[in-house]
Amino acid sequence: MAAIGELSALRSKKGQATRAPSERNDGKAAVFFLLPWFVGLLLIVAGPLVASLYLSFTDYDLLSDPNVVGLDNYVQLFQDPRLSQALYVTFSYVLVSVPLQLAAALGLALLLDRGLRGLAIYRSVYYLPSLLGSSVAIAILWRQIFGTNGLVNQVLEWFNSVQPLIQIGTHGWVSHPDYALGTLMILNVWTFGSPMVIFLAGLRQIPEMYYEAASIDGATKWRKFIAITIPMLTPIIFFNLVLQLINAFQTFTQSYIISNGTGGPVDSTLFYTLYLYQQGFSNLNMGYASAMAWLLLIIIAAMTAINFFVSRYWVFYDD
Amino acid sequence: MTRTRIARGGMVRLAAVAAAGALVLAGCGQAENLPDDEPDGPDPVEDAEEAGAEGDGEEVTIRFSWWGSDTRHQMNQDLIDAFEDEYPHISVQPDYTDWGGYWDKLATQTAGGDTPDVLMQEERYLREYASRGVLANLNDYDIDTSAIDETLLGSGEFDGGLWGIATGGNVRAMIVDPQAFEDAGVQMPDDATWTWEEYAEITEQISASTPDGVYGTQEYGFIEPDLAIWLRQHGQNLWNEDGEIGFDAELMAQRWQMSLDLIESGAAPSASESLELAAGGPEQSLVATNNGAISMFWTNQLETLAGVSGRDLQLMRYPGESQFERTGAFFKPAMALSMSADSDHAEEAALFIDWMLNSQTAGEILLTDRGLPANLEVREAILDQLSDSEQQAADWITEVTPEIVDATPSPPTGAGEVASLLERLNEQVLFGQLDPLAAAEQFIEEASAITGD
Amino acid sequence: MMTDSTTRQAGAAVAQVAIAPGPATALPGSVPAPLPFARRRKGPVIRRALKHVLLVIFGALMIYPLLWMVASSFKPDALIFREPGLIPSEFTVDNYRHGWNALLHPFSHYLANSAIVVAGAVLGNLVSCSLAAYAFARLNFRFRGLWFAIMLMSIMLPIHVIIVPQYVLFSELGWINTFLPLIVPKLLATDAFFVFLMVQFFRGIPKELDEAARIDGAGHPRIFLQIMLPLSLPALATTAIFTSIWTWNDFFSQLIFLTNPDMYTVPIALRTFLDSTGQSSWGAMFAMSILSLIPLFVVFLFGQRYLVRGIATTGIK
Repeated sequence: MAAIGELSALRSKKGQATRAPSERNDGKAAVFFLLPWFVGLLLIVAGPLVASLYLSFTDYDLLSDPNVVGLDNYVQLFQDPRLSQALYVTFSYVLVSVPLQLAAALGLALLLDRGLRGLAIYRSVYYLPSLLGSSVAIAILWRQIFGTNGLVNQVLEWFNSVQPLIQIGTHGWVSHPDYALGTLMILNVWTFGSPMVIFLAGLRQIPEMYYEAASIDGATKWRKFIAITIPMLTPIIFFNLVLQLINAFQTFTQSYIISNGTGGPVDSTLFYTLYLYQQGFSNLNMGYASAMAWLLLIIIAAMTAINFFVSRYWVFYDD
Repeated sequence: MTRTRIARGGMVRLAAVAAAGALVLAGCGQAENLPDDEPDGPDPVEDAEEAGAEGDGEEVTIRFSWWGSDTRHQMNQDLIDAFEDEYPHISVQPDYTDWGGYWDKLATQTAGGDTPDVLMQEERYLREYASRGVLANLNDYDIDTSAIDETLLGSGEFDGGLWGIATGGNVRAMIVDPQAFEDAGVQMPDDATWTWEEYAEITEQISASTPDGVYGTQEYGFIEPDLAIWLRQHGQNLWNEDGEIGFDAELMAQRWQMSLDLIESGAAPSASESLELAAGGPEQSLVATNNGAISMFWTNQLETLAGVSGRDLQLMRYPGESQFERTGAFFKPAMALSMSADSDHAEEAALFIDWMLNSQTAGEILLTDRGLPANLEVREAILDQLSDSEQQAADWITEVTPEIVDATPSPPTGAGEVASLLERLNEQVLFGQLDPLAAAEQFIEEASAITGD
Repeated sequence: MMTDSTTRQAGAAVAQVAIAPGPATALPGSVPAPLPFARRRKGPVIRRALKHVLLVIFGALMIYPLLWMVASSFKPDALIFREPGLIPSEFTVDNYRHGWNALLHPFSHYLANSAIVVAGAVLGNLVSCSLAAYAFARLNFRFRGLWFAIMLMSIMLPIHVIIVPQYVLFSELGWINTFLPLIVPKLLATDAFFVFLMVQFFRGIPKELDEAARIDGAGHPRIFLQIMLPLSLPALATTAIFTSIWTWNDFFSQLIFLTNPDMYTVPIALRTFLDSTGQSSWGAMFAMSILSLIPLFVVFLFGQRYLVRGIATTGIK
């Protein structure tokens, strides 16, 4: 990327003290710094992880002991029409809502970075939806706003009545199978607060010296944005992308609260994790739910691996 | 039936602990080196509690789990206090949450071998838990059931044991707003004789002669009780005594067609709106928001509806009670009390159950929180302490009780999953994705598969 | 103000170590650079006004749900669904009075419990995740990539299949019905989200700084404490904010691991106002939801100051 090249050139002016002996081995220090994580991995993370893998090869109803059934659960995965529906719902959601949410978050982070009066207030207000997030109260509100007689439809009716050109139909936005998923996607964009805050933190992290150096070289604002802000922000963009993807694949709460846990209407919001939850807890097929979880893990891991691989070509690290 | 209870959760525990445990040894030695190994400390409340328990060797603590909202939590706490007063050596530790969370928590605790000593059960999951050996056979304990309503008691008896005792009962009713009838200029029907055809006509008329957004009825088709009433009127049942599907696809399809027709004619709101109403519960129902003449609910929900709507509501029989072979109404067992098969203090747990069912004190605290009390003597004694709408519901139940032919056979294992299957197919029918007969056939096929294994 | 003094100290530390390599480009900066804020103030007034108008319009969309919740919390139960508008026709504070006392403990009890859990979780995440992140970002050790992958993997399995084995594990440890299952995992860096977050931020810090410190004889602990942490204030603030909010709102694991009402936290308490099978206290639930939002909002307001005051912008002068 040209921008990165430019930035590298800029950085090379800083002298050669940066060269780190990459062969250096910090094994001992690493043990110290990783100790809590390692203990956590062994004590708290690994056990349940392995247990769930084991359970995925069993018929387990939570109430009595699991029976090993070999690959039965995994075979069943490929014959389950609701699972295909769940995959379809989840993939559409991930593909649409992750880019939309990230774009909104980045755009607003840039806007709210600096140079405006009342930034703290704007930031707080824009973060509010993420605070309310998954509360029960919000579920009620959504059903009211997007309901057949809700605010959205009232606004649309008014809009349709004041001008003849664009007529938008009114629907039950969360209760009709054709629209419920789309509504959830929009709702997700609305909670862009978390990635926005991370972007803001990332923007603060860019050393001012780069901008100053560029100013001396006579760079315009736009130039600085392209040549410094964006490349320096790529690790954070990458982070948000990876984590939003991992989270989006596991989306649960939105659909759970809006559809009362059913994934309805007609399975149109049956997210993968919601279906997994239904199987595990409502239907007491925890063995099958565990197999579903491991299939999901493989999917997410593959996506993440691709992400990491591609990141070599666009993410710029300062080390 | 003896069960080896020791093994419960054994394999899971093994897997979880083997992986973690083997490594615990390796991890433990180094744990002191953690720079930040200072958790915020155990909670003082628990420490105090443990210390208190040690003071008296005789003292026994049992855990009691239930679902509900704040009014019930307060009531149950009063109940516990009263019980502890009477039996000072037993203390009861409450564990409560909302309906959805309750089942997740109960299943997890059971998997971990921590089933509460005394717990609330529901018809839908009772067999599920009982058949897996989680619940104790209450016949083995000294619990007096002589005053309990026969049909309600029967709902907890199967597989040669008594696995849960319903504490109350409700009847499904049409909850009617006479004001809405009056506004529409439509005569209230005689509910002893009205037919499904009259129901369709009347509700269509109401919708037609009221402003937009006000409807004759809140018909969201098919939730289990509505289907059950229709089937029973035709001498069939959702489940037969053997826990198999007990009805014909055609009959189910007819009922579905009726829902479609009501939506078509405008008597009931659109499919979308019907789903919204179904999700909203009693507080957001048509009758509660003064937007309709009829909503269907259980008798114990009249109190809530009357409160929210601010109107004088009435209870009516379902249509068709005198139209076909027999009546469809039934007494629904509510909130069964069960006991863990693992309880360390089974005698005390049984004592607590017995006391909740049979003591006047308990009856006076609970009133109709669990529906009309299953204990007939208690029911008699509390009638004059009820609020107006509770009184109204109780009177109505007394009125229709003679017409109730029999109990509904208790649903098989997997009934919870079948309920959501029904909901899903219902949505497909209402949105025109499946025709009623195909949906009915699919339901029978899938429901049989779910409950078959 | 604490913020300022911390910032200054940190800034001093950076200045110290940074002077040695003396990047040529930074030298002109020894004359205090004009603040970016002041610089941009000269922009055309109309454009700024337009920006504000847009931000306010979007802000209204953002804030509507909160307003609705506040409005509902002041309506009598019966009117919440009958009159869904923003302005209540009848105004009452009963929901607050009733909600505060409706559960077995006054609501402050649940707020306090949540505060304990949140404090433990924030402390745990700040310390343990930053330690782990330093290793992943700056140290060379064997199988680094593999360990990193394992760490990320741990957040790819849905909680619903992990919770039962976890329950069994914690039950064996005797931790059920204590706050330990909610706090100890955080002390052990099991929140991979934040480890990864800090890795990305640490990697964004110019390596010249640690190299310079190394030349000055600093070891990893000193580099970590005196360079990485002060320079990552925005990331630490982000971690603290998110950990607070997510822990405060986390319903499922608190539901499962806490069984005695004495130990219940805010999300569990809020849920106990509702019963989908019977009577619910909607008004009380809204009122207590609003109350329980206030601490979160304060945390955010306070925390986001650190985003503004991130020290990296002062850079090397």
